[in-house]
Amino acid sequence: MKIVITGAGAVGTHLAKMLSVENEDVVLMDESEERLGKLESLFDLKAVVGSPTRISDLKNAGAGNADLFVAVTPDESSNINACIIAHYLGAKKTVARIDNHEYLLPKHKSYFNSLGINSLIYPEKLAAEEIATSIKYCWMRQMLEFGNGALVMIGVKVRSNSKIINIPFRDLQRDNPYHIVAIQRKNETIIPRGGDMIEADDLVCFMTTQANISYIKDICGKEKFSEVKNVIIMGGSRIAVRTAELVPDNISIKIIESDYARCNKLIELVDDRVMIINGDARDPELLRSEGIDHTDAFIALSDNSETNILACLAAKRSGVYRTVAEIENIEYISMAEEMDIGSVINKKKLAASNIFQMMLNTDVSSVRCLTFTEAVVAEFPVNEGSSITKRAVKDLGLPSGANIGGLIRDGKGINVSGNTIIEPGDHVIIFCLEHVLKKLEKYFNK
Amino acid sequence: MIHFKIISRIIGLLLLIEALFMTSAFGLSLYYKENITTAYLYTLAATVGAGSLFLYFGRGKERNISRKDGYIVVSLCWIFFSIFGSMLYIFSGYIPSVTNAFFETMSGFSTTGATILDNIEALPPSLLFWRAMTHWIGGLGIVFFTVAILPIFGMGDIHLFAAEATGPIHGKLHPRISVTARWILTIYISLTIINAICLHVAGMNIIDSVCHAMSTMATGGFSNKQASIEGYQSPAIEYITILFMFLGGTNFSLLYLTIFKGKFGELLRDSEFKCYVNIILIATVGIMAGLLLTSVPNVEKAFRDSLFQTVSTVTTTGFCTTDYMEWHPLLWMTICTLMYVGACSGSTTGAMKCVRVAILGRVMINEFKRIVHPNAIIPVRMSHKIISAPVQSAILAFTVLYIGVVMVGVFVNMAFGLDFMEAYGLSVTYTGNNGPALGSFGPAFSMNALPDVLKWFASFQMLVGRLEFFAVLLMLTPMFWKRQ
Repeated sequence: MKIVITGAGAVGTHLAKMLSVENEDVVLMDESEERLGKLESLFDLKAVVGSPTRISDLKNAGAGNADLFVAVTPDESSNINACIIAHYLGAKKTVARIDNHEYLLPKHKSYFNSLGINSLIYPEKLAAEEIATSIKYCWMRQMLEFGNGALVMIGVKVRSNSKIINIPFRDLQRDNPYHIVAIQRKNETIIPRGGDMIEADDLVCFMTTQANISYIKDICGKEKFSEVKNVIIMGGSRIAVRTAELVPDNISIKIIESDYARCNKLIELVDDRVMIINGDARDPELLRSEGIDHTDAFIALSDNSETNILACLAAKRSGVYRTVAEIENIEYISMAEEMDIGSVINKKKLAASNIFQMMLNTDVSSVRCLTFTEAVVAEFPVNEGSSITKRAVKDLGLPSGANIGGLIRDGKGINVSGNTIIEPGDHVIIFCLEHVLKKLEKYFNK
Repeated sequence: MIHFKIISRIIGLLLLIEALFMTSAFGLSLYYKENITTAYLYTLAATVGAGSLFLYFGRGKERNISRKDGYIVVSLCWIFFSIFGSMLYIFSGYIPSVTNAFFETMSGFSTTGATILDNIEALPPSLLFWRAMTHWIGGLGIVFFTVAILPIFGMGDIHLFAAEATGPIHGKLHPRISVTARWILTIYISLTIINAICLHVAGMNIIDSVCHAMSTMATGGFSNKQASIEGYQSPAIEYITILFMFLGGTNFSLLYLTIFKGKFGELLRDSEFKCYVNIILIATVGIMAGLLLTSVPNVEKAFRDSLFQTVSTVTTTGFCTTDYMEWHPLLWMTICTLMYVGACSGSTTGAMKCVRVAILGRVMINEFKRIVHPNAIIPVRMSHKIISAPVQSAILAFTVLYIGVVMVGVFVNMAFGLDFMEAYGLSVTYTGNNGPALGSFGPAFSMNALPDVLKWFASFQMLVGRLEFFAVLLMLTPMFWKRQ
């Protein structure tokens, strides 16, 4: 597959590296030679210097015969422009990164399609949605909804007070209204088999229905977590603004931003429910005067991953039980996990999982990334005659590293056991490691 | 640099337009066969003569006017309009004193509505019409009228507009100011006609209904009866007047969007309109409760009186259906305090305007918040838009100036022998272009008992209040006249 990526920023570079590891033909284009740097020598990809909106440069980069054209420069107008030109040159699929939620409204979709832009991604919005859910359900690490909430995937860090630890799986799995798809232990992702056991401090991925969320809360020993009322956000980034829009009205939010000019811009972007404070959120004195000890959730969204990690640790020490950190260095994510920083937000992973979805030949409804592991959760619609419908689940011979979490039949979520036979029209939710996703294609084709 | 020629030309033109308005009253006079034809002829001759003279002095190619010129033009034209407008009263012999005639005309143009007449019913219909006409022209503004009818000033329109418009923020409905003015004028005229028809249906004769409609829409306060609206003894007329006073106090741009574009949500979302409605509701309920507890046992009467008096005061109209000086002192002090508020900016109202009151309130609350959160950046928001710091400080300056002018007024009034209650009431009512004051200058009395000096001073206060202080007071500062 030939893929052209323009914009060698955080998202673009991450995507290029990932795809080149997957043995795709990747061309990475950027205006600045400096940003492209030594990527070419470190990874198996081609780096091209050129402007994303210049036709000759795009031609040079091979946008004309690209299977997928991805525009992820920081400027949304350039991205949209680049996609229009790439489409004109002959690119098969185009994706533009945007920074305006109006563009995402369904009523504009066909218009963007007619311009030659097949898909829009808005990583800041995806990140804000994640943060908003993690505030709403503050006892979990991550929650993903499928089929309008018919099925949910929940990641929970279990402690020694949980009711499900140290029980072999073959005893645990019986007749329960949930399905455990994976366990993350330190740096290892385990797809559990009969003899495995959950240990304290494991991150457990449950697949269940909306109605059973409180049951999961109970068995994980998280009853003491109350509702979040006060939130402090460090750094007035675009994610912070979108988060402030998304969280429920009864939650009060303070955004602490150190740049005075940005503060003045922020007051125009948010409404009166949000208080903008000019100062350094690492200053304990400031945090105390803004009531850190009465704060339920602390969200660190500054540009600097290290700062975010440290700020979250400081907030934990002040008694905040829920912390969320934006960590852009992927290497730090597992470290953050060891240090018990609650949820981790990574724009690159969010954007990348979205673009991953574009690469699959089969029709897939959505691919969502799990920040705490190298895994994704994908929702596949099942077509008439596809090979997955021919055998029971246990006989399918799914690749290791993939696990069927559940299925949605007629809008209702159903747990899957080994003997389940998948029917056409179902939507199957599959947990899989990132590199396995491509291998799943064949199960859904004829 | 001041462009005297173009100023002279504009004032000349405006005076000719005033003559045009007078001619309409003259026509009415001929229709009613009044024997004051010579008064009209003298006045028209003087106005047209002066207008032509100004035009002659102002001839030449000069076309551009500056901001500075705008302030001079607006201040001067209001004064000249009052001078020539008062001639009708003088020459017809109905108000022989120059002081009284000027006071009455200035009270008309500034939509104050305080009168020195002790027997209004004796005036011939055409003079009553002219009295109401001064309100009607002054309501939207003399220059506004002209810009709306004929955009004669070219590039300078915007400066004149800015010098005369009320309220801290001026929104435009249309990219061109003359088109915006024409739309607003359309609303104004249509509402006046509807109001006149309603009043006529409710039992007023034609001339009274037209005069009251003009006076109501301009939130002026001149009535054709000595006893004001009370003289008609009709609840229907009172309710109609309440409605149209309320509309006259609403931002006309908003009314335009609501009526012609059907954007009803725009009206409900507007912070100033919300503030306006809330003030009226709270004051009405409070006064009604006060009335029920003290002097008025009838619920409907208490409701009607309190609503009428509240709306009349908040919109700075100054009509009366009852003498509030007979109420409990707390209630008439409430009325006197409401005189500071005024209705919405961009309407015909006087006083401070709700938008300023609302912003001041928020600025004050923010100061408290800032003590608790010293590092917070707390915006002042009106209708979801942020009020910038320069606008905030302009509003604070306006408020200080407002209180200053009221205070100076109290001093001057007391210097000429009035006691504190009268002095305070008069100063507040003139600065806010309201009408009735307190004590022996309350709704039951005319202003005739004032010493002449105070009538001139009152005229000055009315003018300064109507033009929102800065335009007139700027001309009294030395820096305005410095060459650079």
